[in-house]
Amino acid sequence: MELSPALQTRGLSRRGFLRASAALGAAGLVGGCTATAAPPGATTVTIWSWLTGMDKYVAAFNATQRNVFVELRVIAAGLSGGYAQQTNAIRAHNAPDVLHVEYQGLPQILLTGGLRDLTADMADLESQYSPAAWRGVRPDGRTWGVPMDLAPMVFYYRKDLFDQHGIPLPRTWDEFRTAAAAVKQVDPQARICSFPLNDGSFFAGMSWQAGDPWWTAQGDTWAVDIAGEGTLRTGTFWQSMISENLVAGVVHGTQDWIAGMHDGKLWGLLGASWSVGTLGRSIPKDTGRWAMATMPTWNGTPANGVQGGTAFGISAESKAPEAAMTFLRWLSTNPDVPKIGSTFTTPFPAHLPNRAVARQAYKGGYFLGDPVYDVLDEAAKRVPDWTWGPNALRLFSTISDSFGPVRGGGTTLPEALKKIQQHAVADMRAKGLSVREGKTA
Amino acid sequence: MSVLAPERAPVQETPGSPEVIGRARKKDFAGLVLAVPFLVLLVSTVLVPVLYALYLSLFTERLQGLGFSGPEHVFVWLGNYVSVLADNAFHAGLGNVALFALVHIPSMLIGSLVLALLLDSAVVRLRQMWSLAVFVPYAVPVVIGGLIWAYLYSPTIGPIKNLLGVDPLSDAAVLPSIANIATWQWVGYNMIIFYTALQAVPKEIVEAARADGAGGFRTAWSIKIPMIRPTVFVAVVFTVIGSLQLFTEPMVLRGFTGTVTSTWTPSMYVYEAAFVAGDNGRAAAASVLLAVICALLSAVVMRFSTRRSR
Repeated sequence: MELSPALQTRGLSRRGFLRASAALGAAGLVGGCTATAAPPGATTVTIWSWLTGMDKYVAAFNATQRNVFVELRVIAAGLSGGYAQQTNAIRAHNAPDVLHVEYQGLPQILLTGGLRDLTADMADLESQYSPAAWRGVRPDGRTWGVPMDLAPMVFYYRKDLFDQHGIPLPRTWDEFRTAAAAVKQVDPQARICSFPLNDGSFFAGMSWQAGDPWWTAQGDTWAVDIAGEGTLRTGTFWQSMISENLVAGVVHGTQDWIAGMHDGKLWGLLGASWSVGTLGRSIPKDTGRWAMATMPTWNGTPANGVQGGTAFGISAESKAPEAAMTFLRWLSTNPDVPKIGSTFTTPFPAHLPNRAVARQAYKGGYFLGDPVYDVLDEAAKRVPDWTWGPNALRLFSTISDSFGPVRGGGTTLPEALKKIQQHAVADMRAKGLSVREGKTA
Repeated sequence: MSVLAPERAPVQETPGSPEVIGRARKKDFAGLVLAVPFLVLLVSTVLVPVLYALYLSLFTERLQGLGFSGPEHVFVWLGNYVSVLADNAFHAGLGNVALFALVHIPSMLIGSLVLALLLDSAVVRLRQMWSLAVFVPYAVPVVIGGLIWAYLYSPTIGPIKNLLGVDPLSDAAVLPSIANIATWQWVGYNMIIFYTALQAVPKEIVEAARADGAGGFRTAWSIKIPMIRPTVFVAVVFTVIGSLQLFTEPMVLRGFTGTVTSTWTPSMYVYEAAFVAGDNGRAAAASVLLAVICALLSAVVMRFSTRRSR
């Protein structure tokens, strides 16, 4: 009894001490251009994200703002646990104000009912975004997210080796097969690129190009068409490349893959715009070897796939949606953001004026051939219509499971695709969704 | 409670006298106080989550139309259990862990038993160094160990494909490859357990056997192994449960090969249902079923062990 008041005062003074030292620490950090405590009276906005460099963007925002203070929590990348964490938080009613949703994950997150409708807040920005990104945040005609970047796929290739051996850059998939055979002839250990079978997001990007969207929202019904003509054409082409042993199977981003890219065992990469940064980081000594081109096409009709791409949503239960919107508008459209981004990566913003800023800020020097942003711009222009479905993330793991036996000859890509279509339809119906099989009515 | 029993025994007082009852009550009370931290943890971290899982397993989320208006919770009785039991992916997962157990349990137990007997025999020098060397893999976090092995298994940068002539990540070889990681990890741990049990074998019996002319092998086979049989059975039970719950090793290898599916083991099935498909009801039902299977199998092994030692 006697002790408790003493303890209390001691506790208080200790807390006071902690507060003072935290303030000191904050003061020390201010020199490094970031404030770690909310200014008095500011509205705090919490954000969960795995975007590279988000800490730098948040610090820059907080440094310029008095009324809104953003608190960042870095979470695991989406398919490695980030989506599960956000979905669980929404279910538990303790989601952050701002959620990280890629275009491919947006409809699946929407099934939780946890996102705020941003149609009115975003209406004035439509003309400033790349159409593919704008469509990506509007699966059903309402706006559910703020686009951050766009990730069109391009063909990265070893221009030095292609030139040295007189192999022309393939512009169609038929030419691609010829080039693949030529690469193998020059070096029996080398392949034109890898076609990783356990990466559903990659295969979706390849199919996107073929112009047959896997999902379309038609009124109140999902039309599901994963084994459509374009996707089967893609599957048949790559099945023959695999059967003829013209492509490698190594998983992108692994040590095996990095070694192959650097050692001249892989002469190309079908990768998204963010691979510009990946190449610079994983094989920095390869300066002056690689060049970029838009994806080879089916019979010359310009078309390009997309793999990934980030947007942000606001929680339906957020207590500070206006403040969150202030931050997201800044993040998506303020020219400082691509300038900061260019210091550590190669951003390709969805916001067109910002893309021009990123192009200006790009240092260059790594790639041969056409300027990086010219190729990416052209690729982005070629992206056909696409809608992600409410089971896209789960479908990626179904794809990887179903494609597993392809390399051993247990099944073929077209066969597997037909099974995936059945699986996806059954899965969506089991959830109670309204589903129509096949293409649009 | 069993701890209190021997303490009460020496009290030599007339049973039924008020003093004795009072003291017993006081002791019960003291026991209860001492058990409180345990009970709190048991209730909050085991019983409540188990009950919550049982509760979750009876519900599902139903959507309608495009699904964007959010889910509705629906009570489905045992519907989730039915759909898990009817799911080929769940059967395939059980088949995989059964095969894994067939490869892993004998090789790991025989390996650690042999190593423990060697350590216990007089032939080994530098005993501490050897036991440490075999034990170290257990101290390596499973994910790190899995990654190291995944790099060794990788066809172009790892040496194993060249050494064996077989791609360790191919369809046929991936199960033995995973069993190898687990065996590497657990052999040292079980060796230490067996070695400790062997230390408790009375020296007189071993000496008597030697005096009767038994050699090293005979002593090990006829004296030492039978004497530590209860320990071996406990190790078998733990390994059976561990095999059923196999998760980390295949999860790590999944990033390196398409051969390991997202539902390759029952635990991965639960993970996929909860965190990829977002179907908590099915995940809860699958984990309850997995727990029941674990309990049944351990009961069978225990029954078998008591019958054998009689």
